[in-house]
Amino acid sequence: MGPEILAYPFLFLAIFFESFLLVTLLSAPARSARGRAPHGANTSDETPSVAVIVPCWNEELTIAATCDSLLALEYPKEKLEIILVDDGSTDATSAVMARFAEHPQVRVITKENGGKHTALNTGIAATSAEFVGCLDADSFVEPDALREIIPCFARGEVAAVTAAMSIHRPQKLLQHMQNAEYTFGITLRHTLASVNGLYVTPGPFSFYRRNIVETVGGFKRGHQTEDMEMALRLQREGYEIENAPRARVYTTSPDTILKLVKQRTRWTAGFLRNVLGEYRSLIGDWNRGVLGMLILPTAVIAVGSGILLFALMLFLLLRDAFTALSIRADIPLSYTLLPHGSFDWFYFPANFYILLALITLGVSLGLIVFGKRLSKTPGKIGLGIISYVILYGLIAPLWLVRATADVTFGRHRGWRA
Amino acid sequence: MSIVTRNVLIALFITVALTGTVAYAVNYLNDARIAELGAIEDQLSIDTLSLDTQFSLLEAAPCDSAASSTTLITSLADLGNRLSYAENQLGTDNAQVLRLKQQYSLLEIRDYLITKQLAKACGTKPVIVLYFYSNAGDCSDCDKAGYALSYLHNTYPALRVYSFDYNLELGALKTFIALNKVQGALPAFIVNGKHSYGFTSLEDLEKQFPKGALATSTTSKL
Repeated sequence: MGPEILAYPFLFLAIFFESFLLVTLLSAPARSARGRAPHGANTSDETPSVAVIVPCWNEELTIAATCDSLLALEYPKEKLEIILVDDGSTDATSAVMARFAEHPQVRVITKENGGKHTALNTGIAATSAEFVGCLDADSFVEPDALREIIPCFARGEVAAVTAAMSIHRPQKLLQHMQNAEYTFGITLRHTLASVNGLYVTPGPFSFYRRNIVETVGGFKRGHQTEDMEMALRLQREGYEIENAPRARVYTTSPDTILKLVKQRTRWTAGFLRNVLGEYRSLIGDWNRGVLGMLILPTAVIAVGSGILLFALMLFLLLRDAFTALSIRADIPLSYTLLPHGSFDWFYFPANFYILLALITLGVSLGLIVFGKRLSKTPGKIGLGIISYVILYGLIAPLWLVRATADVTFGRHRGWRA
Repeated sequence: MSIVTRNVLIALFITVALTGTVAYAVNYLNDARIAELGAIEDQLSIDTLSLDTQFSLLEAAPCDSAASSTTLITSLADLGNRLSYAENQLGTDNAQVLRLKQQYSLLEIRDYLITKQLAKACGTKPVIVLYFYSNAGDCSDCDKAGYALSYLHNTYPALRVYSFDYNLELGALKTFIALNKVQGALPAFIVNGKHSYGFTSLEDLEKQFPKGALATSTTSKL
């Protein structure tokens, strides 16, 4: 038995978690959520007031399109307010915002730079709307997205609702990979929301009951992941977080590995600092249900297992490569580079490790396809799936290692460092 | 029972069932590999008996090229490759693999003896390599030597290469090792009766062969 045995517990856990997702996906609460009608489908629907806050810091290139997409939302204009908060931008963001200042639905607020959480709190303080939403200034929404969000607040204990994110016009292979990952996230959020297992309310188009956000004390810096910190706080206070799988929102994505690693390092380090710090008590808390007993422990283990499995894969690869090279050292390339023997089932490399890994991968790909169909996200996902299979396992360990090192050694980076 | 508890239990059942199925499938495939090895071995046994009979029949008859070669060596090489793969998959201490290796070694010894007898009777001079290795972790160069021999055999098909696990518990093999005066230093080669030990490079190994033996267009069939 080789070092692969180290991977077995994590592969078992991965299969168990995916099985749990599949079973939960087929359970009554998730089925019921999928059948939820959008707001306005029934004439008796009451139309609550809504404010969407767009915190901006140096977003001159995308803020106009973001604002345009909000103005195109299918929602009564007198009930929808858009609050653009310029958090001390040093580029032309304020000038672009000024073009929208005269619009009756838009309010522009300028403040000194204080971080995204302060911009959100400024926006919340400036409105009396029943629901407040957040939309990052690099994201764009489908016109019917808000109509999908509002019915999710039907029950009073629901404090927040998340949307279905995907990548805005993926161009590079790296962006297609992220698109597949985000599409997997659509299924994941939809499924976990049905058992109140969400621990992040992402920046792109998550909504909150304003009075609850104010009651729990507004947004905090949250180790540069204020959306995660807020979700964890809402969960700790006993509220629920819902998901609207057909509320489509598109976000721009890093187009280089370096940018992606920086972004994900911030997310992962923020997750570890929040969950292992202020919100450690949630882990293993029976009263928090599936979030405390399964989701958070699995998410923490996933960070460690991602690093371990990558290190194991690298070790096995290097060991085999070294052995193969040393064996073939002085044999002519004309022999070593050509395949020998025949393609025969006898040599099919079916071992326990490979088959378990293939099952895990296969289910993941199935969940990606399901997420696309569920959200009715346009575009093709084939290239995304291929790049996800090839690239994700190679790149993800980079930010997992970097974030874990940052947390371990107490290193704090800037927002875009 | 809450929905979450129910789902967790169902997921646990699915996970255990899946991993159990995978374990069964891997085991089934390995059993099928063993069965295939056994089938090849049965065929080889028939071939060997046929060869013995053929040799007996030819003892009193003139030697001709059609009757004076054994085709067993190609089948033996194929069985050797499969056995080596099965050994990697199932482990060097697997009882079935060990038993098959014993039978395989006996077949090799038998083919070697018949080849020598045919060569003597027919006056041909085959290049015969006896290769002794160990996979007990005490032979760091055995993998390199084995690969170099595979290359030589592939490049010069007239070579007859017989590989033996030096540590295999088999009386006939022990006797064979003793008769050929193989010492414990591995890898060990006997090329047409000439002993050499250790492996440094392909070039050094080639020097152990008789002059002209490594020719791609040899007319020797043995």
